[in-house]
Amino acid sequence: MTDFDAIVIGAGNAGLTAATALQRGGARTLLLERHNIPGGCATSFIRGEFEFEVALHQLSGMGTEKNPFIMRKIFNDLGIMDQLTIVEERELYRVVMPSKVNKEHEIDIVLPASIKALKKTLSAHYPEESENIEAYLTLCEKLSLECFMMLPRAQKMADQTVLESTCPNYIQYGLTSSKDVLNQFFSNPDLKTVIAAYWCYIGLPPKDIPFCDLAMMIYAYAAFKPCHVQGGSQAISSALLESFLNAGGKVLFNTGAAKILTENEQVKAVQTEHGDIFSCQHIISNTSPQHTFNELLDIPTPTQVADDMKSRRLGTSAFVLYLGLDCTPEELGVTAASNFIIDDRDEEVAFTTMQGIVDPTHTMVTCYNYDDPSFAPQGKSTLSLLCLQYSQAWQDLPVEEYAQAKYDFAEKLINHAERVFPNIRKNIEEVEVATPLTMMRYLNTPGGAIYGFQQNTQDATMFRKRIDAISGLHMAGSWNGMGGFQPTYMIGESTARAVLKKIKKESEMKQQELTHA
Amino acid sequence: MPSTNKKNNILHAVNGYQDALDHQQELLKTGTDYNEQNGHVANTIASLHPKRIQLVVSEVIEDTASTKTLRFKAKGGFLPPFQAGQYINLFVNIDGTETARPYAISSAPQQRGFYDFTIKHVADGFVSHFLLNDVKVGDHFQSTGPMGTFYHNPLFHGDDLVFLAGGSGIAPARSMILNMIKKTSQKIHLIYASSYEADVIYINELKRLEQEHDFLTITWLISRPTENYAGRTGHVSAELLSELLGNDLETLQAKMFYICGPTSFHDFCAEQLKQLKVKARRVRIECNGPPKRPETLAGWPQNLIASDKVMVTIHKADGSQGQFEARVDEPLLNSMERNGYSAENACRSGECSLCRVKILKGSVFNPAEARLRSTDEAYGWCHSCVAFPTSDIDVLV
Ligand SMILES: Cc1cc2nc3c(=O)[nH]c(=O)nc-3n(C[C@H](O)[C@H](O)[C@H](O)COP(=O)(O)OP(=O)(O)OC[C@H]3O[C@@H](n4cnc5c(N)ncnc54)[C@H](O)[C@@H]3O)c2cc1C
Ligand code: FES
Repeated sequence: MTDFDAIVIGAGNAGLTAATALQRGGARTLLLERHNIPGGCATSFIRGEFEFEVALHQLSGMGTEKNPFIMRKIFNDLGIMDQLTIVEERELYRVVMPSKVNKEHEIDIVLPASIKALKKTLSAHYPEESENIEAYLTLCEKLSLECFMMLPRAQKMADQTVLESTCPNYIQYGLTSSKDVLNQFFSNPDLKTVIAAYWCYIGLPPKDIPFCDLAMMIYAYAAFKPCHVQGGSQAISSALLESFLNAGGKVLFNTGAAKILTENEQVKAVQTEHGDIFSCQHIISNTSPQHTFNELLDIPTPTQVADDMKSRRLGTSAFVLYLGLDCTPEELGVTAASNFIIDDRDEEVAFTTMQGIVDPTHTMVTCYNYDDPSFAPQGKSTLSLLCLQYSQAWQDLPVEEYAQAKYDFAEKLINHAERVFPNIRKNIEEVEVATPLTMMRYLNTPGGAIYGFQQNTQDATMFRKRIDAISGLHMAGSWNGMGGFQPTYMIGESTARAVLKKIKKESEMKQQELTHA
Repeated sequence: MPSTNKKNNILHAVNGYQDALDHQQELLKTGTDYNEQNGHVANTIASLHPKRIQLVVSEVIEDTASTKTLRFKAKGGFLPPFQAGQYINLFVNIDGTETARPYAISSAPQQRGFYDFTIKHVADGFVSHFLLNDVKVGDHFQSTGPMGTFYHNPLFHGDDLVFLAGGSGIAPARSMILNMIKKTSQKIHLIYASSYEADVIYINELKRLEQEHDFLTITWLISRPTENYAGRTGHVSAELLSELLGNDLETLQAKMFYICGPTSFHDFCAEQLKQLKVKARRVRIECNGPPKRPETLAGWPQNLIASDKVMVTIHKADGSQGQFEARVDEPLLNSMERNGYSAENACRSGECSLCRVKILKGSVFNPAEARLRSTDEAYGWCHSCVAFPTSDIDVLV
């Protein structure tokens, strides 16, 4: 018998979810994590009186208690829903385009988190486009439903007529460039900027994002509310770990996987950085395929995998300032938890600035204690300023210039945010700066990538074959699906389900062999 | 070729599907299998934040009767950059016990050839004794990379700095001062308290620096002077601070105060600054090990006395178990190490969370030093370097 039925490498969202589902499903599971806490991106850290959320800005897919959505079911099945205190955000986001010449911002609009109110607000600001707004948001809704329900069914049936009759919007718009769809529906460039601001989360300009992704984002957030969890995403990670341990799972922190050992292209064991070897039948890797196949696997990367990687491009990382401020959100002028400060209507300009260490043009400001005061000490505020960035420019810096470069860029980001929230700097009590290299350090991802590969249209799962070149080695995480919270929890869950099925089949086959013998 | 499952053939009916497939082919042709980047992530991380550094003692410098500076070079030659004020955690093996202690780097960050650590004798200290008495040139050590958040942060600290140093708390101050030599805009007032005149570390170097540079002002303070001592005596009191720095609140508030010394010194200085109405955000206090007498702190269970003993049962992930007895006033990490168990660690002051362990049964006392995440206590996680067992406990490591 092997030491474990399954070993999960990495305790990120997908790893934790997979490990918990496996152990609860009866598979003896070992979870290895090189960092000292569970969560990967979904962690928090303490500075002074503040606890900073590392990554979660708006959790999608929860729905409300009355109108629950898929994530509640998944968390329920994992045994953690009753451990979480969910905080709904009232607004989707505020978009500000600060004026360079006078005090009046060129754009300043807060979008509410409800489809009906959203249509109303947008129409009030852009009355000449109110019909377009109605049509666009209706399309987003229909498209989301098609993607979620009808498309998978049609794919399963492999029936084109079903596809054509049930997914007309998907056929017309699903894989079309978001930019084209926006141009088709709207003429006011401000409106396009406002309604497509979520592209900033994805990190690709709308021209490269398939419309289904952008549409689902705005629809799902508006219909099911963006959420926070008290204690931050760390609370989810800690609850998952607890559920895993309660079910009998074993975990090792400060213990990276160093080698995946195989025999006849079938996984056999994992060797840790400390030299221990644990045998197993299945490995679920929550780390990148580059690390998994090119560095951990004891045999050359199979062609199937190498080719899959060749058609992918490294995704974005992030630069984040975690700020603990000695003033309240009101004193700061915060009117929505999530804010996009946008300088340039041309997203491709923004995309270019993401490649270097130059003045940011798209800054996201999240004020965590705006919707729930428990996210900061009394009278204070917890804020993060974030702009997505690719890591190359940071990797090119000589090590002795790194710290200065980090502060210089942080200054630029604060300056940018201060055009909308002018009192940030003078109220700083704690600050931590994270660059793409910080992400690399804590996530162990190439380029410090936070969503895995670039999520252009062809990167999606529907354009990919399942990686099965090494029997028993499964990938789960942002690298073989979409990045972000909801997608990684979901892929962890579905991977575990598939592995449990395999384990069951394997043991049935063994049983049969035994009875025949 | 990555391409797609059969069930996706129907997707050709979708606008843009073929375009995406074409795009994929194009990318495939020009792409890489990333093999050329093997080792790159690990090397990049190691050049900034190595998990371990291999060190060799290159010099032992006698500073005062109770203090030595140990100079360390890297075995491989490369020492990562650090920010003046940061520390490393030095691993030692003393008579079979594997343990470690954090030490601030007292040399300048510009000096990339070596790190200096200033080690002061601590009465009944375990590791300081060893470092002062048994270490010689050529000895090998392991340490963590530079860590910690006690340094000048240009984003909000400003240019008007005050450093309150007590005893060996001068170590990070020295690094910060040496680092300021080239920076024209900053100035620093060092208020340096020592017990005895003979105990003032770096006295000559600091006096010389003060003479040579305008940015540096030093006030020396001796708490237990000899009869003939002519300089200032006493403690870093609120009156002294007002006298030296003025008591205009706005001026005081514009300064950044750094405090580093023994725990009692931290508490005392912080209290004085509070009296002067200096806001928390203008004060930085270096961490300084576990509390010495936990039984005197608020929240310590009644009826529990320092010499009480409890049974600690250790559970490892491989299923093995072990047991030992420990005093309730000894940090869990220390008693674990003495009994041959370990947890990763760096700050040993409750800050970095590397030493996190889970208490499966029983209870521990978490002092204010323990910077726990808000969900930790509910699930029994604690920072073992500052956690004190208050009953028989079962620990998952
Ligand atoms: C600053 C920031 C902001 C973000 N904002 C958002 C947002 O607003 N909304 C959103 O949906 N998403 C956001 N994300 C992205 C989202 O958090 C991630 O895409 C998602 O959490 C990735 O999960 P994952 O399962 O792929 O694993 P990861 O979080 O990448 O975790 C992988 C884990 O594997 C471990 N590991 C790696 N190598 C090894 C090894 N050899 N052995 C053992 N362990 C190993 C790592 O230490 C890590 O813990 C953000 C991310 C960051 C960093
Ligand atoms: S070693 Fe840093 S918290 Fe314990």
